[in-house]
Amino acid sequence: MKIKKILLIPFLFLLIISCDSGIEPKPEPDFEQISGFKGSVTFSGEWPDSIKRTHIVIFKNPLLQASDFVITNLRFISNEIPFSSLTYNFSSLDSAVIPPAPGPIEPGEYSYVAVAHQATENLSLARRDWFVSGIYYSNGNTTIPGIMLVPEDRMVENINIVCDFNNPPPQPPGGI
Amino acid sequence: MNKILILIFILFAGLTYSQSYSIAGKVIDQQSNPVPGVNIILLNTTIGTATDLNGNYEIKNLTPGIYGIEFSAIGFERQRRNRVVISNKSVTLNIVLKPQAIKTDEVIVTAGKYEQKKSDLPVSTEILYGSELLERNFSNLEDAMRYVPGITMTEDQVSIRGSSGYGRGVGARALFTLDGIPFYTGDTGEIVWEMIPVTQIHRIEIIKGAASSLYGSSAIGGVISGLTGDISETPKTIINAFYGFYDKPHFDEWNWSNGTRPFNGISVSHSQKIQDFGFNLSFQRLEDQGYKRDDFSKKYTGFIKAAYQFNPSSSLSLIANTYNKRGGSFLYWKDSRNALVTSDNVDINRVNTNRYLFGLIYKNVLNDNTAMNIKTSYYRNNFEDNGNPSNESTSHLYRGEVQFNISLSNSIMLTTGVEAIPSNVNSSLFGNPSAFSTGAYVVTDFTFNFPLITSVGLRYDYTKLDSLDASGAISPKLGLNYKLLSNLVLRSSIGTGFRAPSLAEAFTSTVTSGLIIEPNPDIKSEYNLTLESAINYLPIDLIELDIAVFNNEYYDMIEPSVDTTSGNIKFQNVVRSRIQGFEFNTVLDIIPGNLKVNLGYSYLWSRDIENKMALKYRPRHNFTSGIDFATRGFGVGIYFRYSSRIEEIDNELLRIVTDGELRVPVYVADVKLSYELISIGIPANIFFNAKNIFNYNYVELIGNLRPIRNYSLGFNLIL
Repeated sequence: MKIKKILLIPFLFLLIISCDSGIEPKPEPDFEQISGFKGSVTFSGEWPDSIKRTHIVIFKNPLLQASDFVITNLRFISNEIPFSSLTYNFSSLDSAVIPPAPGPIEPGEYSYVAVAHQATENLSLARRDWFVSGIYYSNGNTTIPGIMLVPEDRMVENINIVCDFNNPPPQPPGGI
Repeated sequence: MNKILILIFILFAGLTYSQSYSIAGKVIDQQSNPVPGVNIILLNTTIGTATDLNGNYEIKNLTPGIYGIEFSAIGFERQRRNRVVISNKSVTLNIVLKPQAIKTDEVIVTAGKYEQKKSDLPVSTEILYGSELLERNFSNLEDAMRYVPGITMTEDQVSIRGSSGYGRGVGARALFTLDGIPFYTGDTGEIVWEMIPVTQIHRIEIIKGAASSLYGSSAIGGVISGLTGDISETPKTIINAFYGFYDKPHFDEWNWSNGTRPFNGISVSHSQKIQDFGFNLSFQRLEDQGYKRDDFSKKYTGFIKAAYQFNPSSSLSLIANTYNKRGGSFLYWKDSRNALVTSDNVDINRVNTNRYLFGLIYKNVLNDNTAMNIKTSYYRNNFEDNGNPSNESTSHLYRGEVQFNISLSNSIMLTTGVEAIPSNVNSSLFGNPSAFSTGAYVVTDFTFNFPLITSVGLRYDYTKLDSLDASGAISPKLGLNYKLLSNLVLRSSIGTGFRAPSLAEAFTSTVTSGLIIEPNPDIKSEYNLTLESAINYLPIDLIELDIAVFNNEYYDMIEPSVDTTSGNIKFQNVVRSRIQGFEFNTVLDIIPGNLKVNLGYSYLWSRDIENKMALKYRPRHNFTSGIDFATRGFGVGIYFRYSSRIEEIDNELLRIVTDGELRVPVYVADVKLSYELISIGIPANIFFNAKNIFNYNYVELIGNLRPIRNYSLGFNLIL
């Protein structure tokens, strides 16, 4: 009788835990009510031949030193912007290099939004391999990088960037 | 008249004698080897016998009635049959004995490079028997390791007491040996679990804590020693086969295949001795269509152990293990709504693998006190994928070791040896580097009468990785084992371990899914200092308690992490960490031979000291348990394991793995049913397994759902 009771204990325990299914699928993102951003890039001047690829890059924290240009601070790398484009519209709901699938962007402040290009054969995350050709400015202040504020459950719009290849913006620390 | 009475008595006696019966049969182990010297007694009587060299026995002159009969032998679980009925004919009763682990004095382990009693060791040891692997249908040893107390797995990377996190298949902080031959690849230094011939395994010995003083690099967290079965004295063929399938996923949206996904396996092995020559030979085919898309595989494993006995004191053995795999590659899921479908961003979904291990072991007993072992081995590892461009890598690892076991006196045993390990790689991922390492070791075990066993060891290793600076490492170890009472053993050990970086950790250069992994020419060896104290107590014969506390300090721990100057990932000596904890394990033999319970709990407090955070992929709480009930050839087992939710993961991977942050505690329950047909005269057993019976969904590595509920039915036929 005692043995039967002993055997009952694990059965009861297993019965209790059987109610939990563990990881569950997240609900489909509601693209009507989703945190994100959208905007456009306008290019002026002649595209340098040396450019191998151009992306929109977004960092969470300010780029105060070279080590801030790091993947753990990076929140978004767009797909490549076609060479010689005059304008380019983008949105966090587009497919991108990072993140790999469109979805909500964590609400909050993003300190550095820019268009940057590379001359290397392969995509590189090393600071030295990037050259910034345009920066997002907010409130008309073109002296410091603008902060993009992503609200809860809503898309922030008009994240517009101007890239003037003849007049590039100040480069963040760590470049060549 | 008296003569007539005597005649009647003799006739009556003869009649009575002619109506006596017997209980007879054969006693074998789970590999169908006869077990000689088994004590057999009829309960509540003084009648008994023992099995002969072929495992046969017979108890004669029994009158009709109901008998209780018990079988016992050193190293095996006691078996009892309470109702053996003799009516009008003799009874044949064949018995299969299972290995017994609770009587620690009687378990012999060889992970110390010579045979020792488990209870004489100064370090914590776990034993896993090959028969359990078959009955529970662990076609991959990796799956069985998840049920060993104190061990956690993150996919295929083993962690003994928190030694490892997840290094993307690169580097191992535990050394696996097969029949004494180290078993890691020359490029990544990983243990290839699926290559290990599980059907050939007799037992697995797991030594917890740094064992670099004997084994050198890689044994920084411990040693897992796989021992294959002995060559059978009589020809023996075993056929093992199983068929199973994965159940439907828990959520309909995960049901990408609209059906069940099958898996199956067959293994044929033969063992035979011809005079002084003998061999074990096996071939195994495994096919798994996978519960995840692009995670299918076909695997072929071959194994040969051939031995020639030159004379009673010397022998030569050949070990050959081959492995071929054609399969898919599931790197991480698309998202949580498509958790069993690989991400669109992964461009590699096919991998072909060919691996070969060859070893030669020469044993010579030089005199009454000295034995010599010479071991040489070659391990070729090749894989290629369908990436664009394709990645291909081939590594060659050679090893030679000379080892002596010298009994200096009745109380002093010296184990010493030297080894050399050259290796080279031709790879699109790792380049074409080469490496060379060599080591010399000496370990002395002193047995005092108090009774105290002291083990003192020291090893020096020299490592040169291609163009990197050469480095040396000294690994000392001191162990104490004190038998305070006949049923109470105290043990304690302190030692250092080290691990040289693998060629892959130093020279990997690749781009995968947006992450750039770059070589690190400045990488150096990592070190640890481990301290353990433990008590082993048997309050009664049927209960074993083992409690261990440990503190492991790691220096220059190698982890893949983001380089702050380049922004790329590389393997770096970044972590100064501390892992503290305790383990509690118990075996309760509630009804000997019928009902046994195993419980194990370990607590790990693992900390990156510099960054003041938990180490990645180390669950704080781990619990394993098993209940085995057996009677009349039937067996039922219920197994459960729990791990608490992992605190820290590779956060940089969250940039590329959608919903990668999803992780939960682990609750997995399995059920096993088995029946030994030998009890009805058929030399076979059948087993049914239901794994993850609650279809619980969990990950060990982000974006990788572990196996969903699955069922399998198999048999083991011995010819």
